[in-house]
Amino acid sequence: MIKNYDQLSSLEIDTLREIGSIGTGNAATALSQMMNQTVRITLPEVRIMGYNEAIEWIGGPEEVTAGVLVKMSGDVGGIMLSVQKLELVNVVLETMLGESVSSYESLTELARSAMIEIGNIMISTFINAMSGLADLNIKLTVPAFAVDMQGAILTVPMAEYGGMSDYLMAIGGNFVCDGKEVPCHLILSPDLRSLDFLLRKLGVSDE
Amino acid sequence: MKLLQGDGMLITYALGSCIGLCFHDPRLRLGALLHIMLPLNMEAGRTHPLKYADTGIKETLRQMEAKGASRSRMTVKIAGGAKMFEVSGSGLGNIGQRNIESVHAILRREKLHLLAENVGGTIARTLLFDVGSGQACIRSYGQKDIIF
Repeated sequence: MIKNYDQLSSLEIDTLREIGSIGTGNAATALSQMMNQTVRITLPEVRIMGYNEAIEWIGGPEEVTAGVLVKMSGDVGGIMLSVQKLELVNVVLETMLGESVSSYESLTELARSAMIEIGNIMISTFINAMSGLADLNIKLTVPAFAVDMQGAILTVPMAEYGGMSDYLMAIGGNFVCDGKEVPCHLILSPDLRSLDFLLRKLGVSDE
Repeated sequence: MKLLQGDGMLITYALGSCIGLCFHDPRLRLGALLHIMLPLNMEAGRTHPLKYADTGIKETLRQMEAKGASRSRMTVKIAGGAKMFEVSGSGLGNIGQRNIESVHAILRREKLHLLAENVGGTIARTLLFDVGSGQACIRSYGQKDIIF
């Protein structure tokens, strides 16, 4: 039984990395269809890291970002977050709506809906890939959206499961669309019981 | 947790559901800034006491009292405890609210004087604490700074 993320073996981490890679591949396909434009996500980096490290990795605690959050339940419980920097927001909005914004404050209602949808697609295709691979049944809540300091946004999964673990699984890749390449980040924070279950289902964890 | 005596500023960034607590002993010009994430410590090994309201406040008091601080002079200001996401249906536990309630209860139990607070709501706060004057300031995205 895994008690903490830092107890994962290299085989287990490789397996999570593979899930990350397949998941983001599926997400790129779904986004291409929605945006009617080829979207690629470059080979993602999957890392298991502590909260402070994760914050620095996405650019520091006070930087403002948009976050789309979905809660998982069923065979795997936990939280998944899509962190959307302004660069990513603008690439999406220019392609879909032909507009761009200089700050998050000027997002229109339509633009907000578009960003929620993009986050939702990234998260749900990722989860679908994961549940397909491991033969799991995972339910997702309707996505919630917030624009605020990313330190506070990233604390949400930490606080929800913080009693059990200080680690997150972070997936980062570059989102390539219409000749522009911008970073995108997904944060997966399954509760530990679920992580254990997931790895056993995939056949990589010791009984 | 950061401890400082004399002039200077202590900062904790991007408090969401977390709570920042500024402890101040004006006579000694001694201050501490504690950042807690969860209401109660239920860890078996108790390896991170400062992460929780109950053990975090106790440990901060212990360190301040070791430097000569007195509870009867001490004042506390708190900020944070927001709800960052509204998830419909099953929802997330409202940790911000639970943190606020826990901090209030522990401050009462420890007989500490809660001088001012800026808690709840839905926005993140960066908390700055001027140890010399005891003044606290909140910085939030898209809002005017709040001095309290």
